[in-house]
Amino acid sequence: MATGPELQSIQDEETRLLRVWTPMILRTILIAAVTVLIIGLVQSTFGSPGHYVRRFHELQRGIDLRRPRDFGPLVGDALGGDGHSIMTIGLMLLTMVPIARVTFTLLVFLREKDYPYVAMTGYVLVALILGAALGRIG
Amino acid sequence: MLTILGGLLLLSVGAGFVGSISGLGGGVFIVPALVVVSHLPIQVAIAASLISVVATSAGASVAFVRDGWTNLRVAIVLECATVTGAISGAYCAGIVPARVLELLFAAIMLQSAYFSLHKPGDDIVPNSDPLAERLRLAGDLPGDGVQPVIPYGVVNVPGGAALMVVAGLMSGLLGIGSGALKVMAMDYIMHLPLKVSSATSNFMIGVTAGAGALVFLFRGDVSTVIAGPVALGVTAGALMGSRVLPYANVQALRIVFVIIMVLIAAEMSWRALAGL
Repeated sequence: MATGPELQSIQDEETRLLRVWTPMILRTILIAAVTVLIIGLVQSTFGSPGHYVRRFHELQRGIDLRRPRDFGPLVGDALGGDGHSIMTIGLMLLTMVPIARVTFTLLVFLREKDYPYVAMTGYVLVALILGAALGRIG
Repeated sequence: MLTILGGLLLLSVGAGFVGSISGLGGGVFIVPALVVVSHLPIQVAIAASLISVVATSAGASVAFVRDGWTNLRVAIVLECATVTGAISGAYCAGIVPARVLELLFAAIMLQSAYFSLHKPGDDIVPNSDPLAERLRLAGDLPGDGVQPVIPYGVVNVPGGAALMVVAGLMSGLLGIGSGALKVMAMDYIMHLPLKVSSATSNFMIGVTAGAGALVFLFRGDVSTVIAGPVALGVTAGALMGSRVLPYANVQALRIVFVIIMVLIAAEMSWRALAGL
């Protein structure tokens, strides 16, 4: 493990990389997700307003929610112009923000061979993926 | 449809705006708004709120990270605790009865109201304790040309991490960022400067809420018709709030927010106890 000035230099480089690139990653994915969500919302408003209203009232009455859809058909429907599928992809993109940020941080720590922090960011990344898997299996 | 959509957007923009001005985040306001005003089940509101919290955290933390207010190492260490709590909370939210969630929400509103009235002051320690030293958690308050750079230390990481598990649990269970709990943990227990605590909490909220949101999303519990407009509205509201904040009389507004939070807590408790 590095010590003294070498350690300080590693820490400075890590901090520089994280401070420059993290805001860029956050902003880029956020803008992409918001753009997709707006397209989906506009498409829903003009494409299937009846479905939107029906679904809203079903939710108010506590009617059970839909089960998760497989990614392939979801993308197919989105490409076909289905507003709700486009919005779902926008929401998925939003949840990618933390995964992308943590993955980038992990790569920075790996590059600098800062192993205690590799272990911690690795744990957070695995936990995020495990969360998705737990949701999938119910 | 436009009436429903317009109403949802209006509620969400309002919640994001108030959340930004009060510093508590949009989650604590949008969940009760969706339950009380839109008459939606609390689980639907929680799922929509979690996703909007991810968006607002990403937007708000950009400037704090760039300008050096966020302590990235402290965030990474504490995220280990918050994601563990958040995933457990989000998993349990699917099985915990709505009444219990409403009561818990009321309790968190009261805690946030208390936090708003008794904002902690800076109690900076010059040196870190051995564990924080080993993890290199100490940092510097950025100078601005007039004010010099001020170094600060960090203490009691295990104590802070323990409270972060609770903050994560509440985030996953109730669809909020738990910013008030996170700032308390970092400021009171770990003695980080208040502005660093707020910036670091904001940064961590994205991962905490993201962990919970992923559980909801992949379980199929995120309703697109609600979560889409809510995410857009809360983000827009938070952006407006951050623009207005420098010109707002926050001291005077704080009393208004506290009254609103106490009223929401009373309404949520009443709903839970009366079984509405």
